[in-house]
Order: sequence, then C-alpha cells, then structure tokens
Amino acid sequence: MDAVKMVFNMFLFPGGLFAVLFGLLLMGADRKIYARLQRRVGPPLYQPLIDLVKLQQKETLIPRTAQYTVFRIAPLLGFVGMLVAVVLIPIPGVYAGINHTADLLVLLYLLATPALALMIGASASGSPYSAVGLSREMTLTMAYEVPLLMVFLTVAMKVGMAYGKLGDFSLGDIISFQQQNGPLLLDITMLPAVLAFMCCIPATIGVVPFDIPEAETEIAEGPLLEYSGTGLSMFKLTGGLKMVVISALAVALFFPTALGGFWLINLLWFIIKCLLVITVTITVVRATRARMRMDQAFKFYLLFPTALALISMILTMFSVKL
Amino acid sequence: MANLLQQIVKKSPWIYRINAGSCNGCDVEMATTALIPRYDVERLGCRYCGSPKHADIVLISGPVTAVVKEKVIRVFDEIPNPKVVVAVGICPISGGVFRDSYAIESPLDAYIPVDVNVPGCPPRPQAIIDGIAKALEIWKTRV
Repeated sequence: MDAVKMVFNMFLFPGGLFAVLFGLLLMGADRKIYARLQRRVGPPLYQPLIDLVKLQQKETLIPRTAQYTVFRIAPLLGFVGMLVAVVLIPIPGVYAGINHTADLLVLLYLLATPALALMIGASASGSPYSAVGLSREMTLTMAYEVPLLMVFLTVAMKVGMAYGKLGDFSLGDIISFQQQNGPLLLDITMLPAVLAFMCCIPATIGVVPFDIPEAETEIAEGPLLEYSGTGLSMFKLTGGLKMVVISALAVALFFPTALGGFWLINLLWFIIKCLLVITVTITVVRATRARMRMDQAFKFYLLFPTALALISMILTMFSVKL
Repeated sequence: MANLLQQIVKKSPWIYRINAGSCNGCDVEMATTALIPRYDVERLGCRYCGSPKHADIVLISGPVTAVVKEKVIRVFDEIPNPKVVVAVGICPISGGVFRDSYAIESPLDAYIPVDVNVPGCPPRPQAIIDGIAKALEIWKTRV
C-alpha cells in the first residue's frame, strides 16, 4: 500500500498533475491581477496553458555552438527538482508530507535546482548573451540564499527550542508546533523573518525588480535566449512550479492553520493562502517597481533581508518575549 | 482535432520586432501598440518577447538598408516555424521617403516572405493591431 501511496503522491497529488495545474493557475492569476492593476482586461486565466500548448507546436532549434546533450537535458533538471520539492511540503489538514528529520534542509537544496538548471542550460547554449545572464543568475543566487538560509535557521531554532533541541528542520514538527501554539506569522519576534522571506520570493521566481538575469530589454532574455519550443515550455513550467513550491513553503513555515476536518475545505483554504502570497509578494511588487541593477540587487539582499532575518534570529536565540 | 489545436494556438501569439534601418517612427508606434496598457494587446494573448527564438509574429519596420540586410535575413532564419511576418510602415513596401537612396535595398519581400503589409508613415496603432489580427488568421492555418 505504501508504494501505491508514494506513486500517487509523486504523480497525482500533491506532486505531478496537481502541482503542474496549480502552477499554471498561479501564473495565470498573476498575469490577470497584474493586468487589472494597470486597468486593462488582461489575458484569460488559462493563458499559461495555451502558451504551453503553443510552444509544443513550435520548431525546436538547437544552435550549432551548443553542447547538444547538456542543452537538451538542462530544462528537465529544474523541472524534476521542483516536482520532488512539491512532494516534500505538507498541505496543512490535507497532506502530511514525507516527514523526515531534515526536509527543510533538503528543500533549501532543491530550491536552488531551477537556478542551477538555468545556469547549466545557459553555459551549454554558447551564446554571449546567455553567458552574461549566467553570471548575473549566479550572483543573484548567492545574494538571496544568505537571508533565505537565515530565515530557515530562525524557524528551525524557534521550533527546536520548544521540543528541547537546538534546531528542528522537520516540516512536520514545524507545522504541528504552530497548530498547537498559533502561527508564527502572529508572533512579533518572527515578523522580521517573515518580511525577509517575502523579500526573497521575487528573486527566487525571477520577476521584475529582480529579473536581472533574464532582462529581455537589455540582454534578450539571457539564459533563455537560445531555447525554443519544448525546452522553453519546460522552463516556463518550472517557473510555475517554483511559484507553487515557494508559496506552499511560505504557508507551511508561517501560517499553516487548517480550517476544519474536511480535506476539500482545507485544500481550498490552502489555495487561497498561496494566491495571497503570490499576489502580495510578486504581482503587486512587479506592477509597481522597475528593474534594479545587479549591484543594487546584490547590496539590497545582503543588507535589508539579512538584517531583518538576523534581528529575528537574535530575538529567538535569547527567547525574548515581546 | 487539428481545428481545436488551431483555435488554441491562435490565442497565444508572441511578438518580436526587427528594425531594418527604420527611422524609429514606426518602432515608437509599435512599442506603443504592443506594450502600453492603453490598447492592451495582451488580452489577445500577445506577449512581447526579447529573443527571436521565442517569437511567432515578426514585425519588421524600415527600408532594409544595405548594411542591415544580411543581419535581418539571419535573425529571420533564427525564428522557429511556424511564423508570420508583418511589414510595418511604407518603407518595407517601397522605401518610402528614402526611395531613391543608394543605401536602400527595399522592397523587403524580395528577401523575406511578407504576409501582411501595414502601410503608413507611420501607421496608426489601430492599423498595427489590425495587422496583427490579420496575421493571427494566417498563422492559425500554418500550425
């Protein structure tokens, strides 16, 4: 039975089919709300699905200078990494997750796979614009991983202290702790960490203030420049899955309350929370801010989110009650 | 089945601009049509893309100067099939005000198969949107 359940979790719910459809919904909602913020009609909610079907009909071109095998495999790497990451994250009241001792640390590594896949694909495509995008992606990843890791450490420390450990990296424990003691979002000492995590979201997804690696108006989409057809559709799909993973993670870390006993209500509540996370941290930011320069983004990440996460960490370390 | 596919694909045209030595008048008009919220071509599923390898509909402006001719043909070849070409402005048709210049190699359709012509110097944004809508009907049949 266990194997059947595992396969079901991996390919239908919450990984695989559900995650892909949910990712497309989040992408569509993001584009629709973005259009409404600019007072226009905007594309329909199912637009990302149409784009995906269209890209399958296009010819796939491979540049003569590209390293063929790596160029074709790179889009798959990020996609698979994100599919595995979805299975690790519990949905409160619906799905319990894998529940190992350190799944938060595994998630931190898996979160880096799409950026890594982008870098590998860019380096294999043999285009100078991709090389520029590759170096920018690498710099940006290094900058936002620091506050992200510190937020994870803070949450782990907070939960670990309650269970008499130095740190607890199990997502199952983190959720059960919050279901007993109230969500961490409402804890004032954790508020800086929440803000730091919200600052990291746009860079992980790669949207406007921090879409410096893919800046289409200056380096012609950077790492994605040489990709067309199926490879490009794979990267777009990975973008959607990234939204699912990061918003589900935000829900699991800071606000994993379940509404009732029935799973369908809990699932709808989870979807609403994810939509809210995406709207606040991606759509509104994207609609109101212009693209930063690389050095500005680097400084921003090593200054504000890191400082915020550090404040939370110190408050947690000395168990300050506010 | 093929009909359904055509209906789906029609809703997702990605636009790419090539400047073939244009004076920038048509480019400004195209940017205002394809990009600004006022006319909102995104409701048709259009998206402006930065790379020729992502494009479906190509908007070419300018009288094809001698220097830029080879590059335009090369970028055009990098666009994956199926694709549609829209020539924007009077220049790609006849050379426009630059007609008798020694540096001009128009018309454009001597080198590239043009599907839709949008004449004007520069054409109105409405005319360009109409050109894109006509290009969509042609693109649908090529999938």
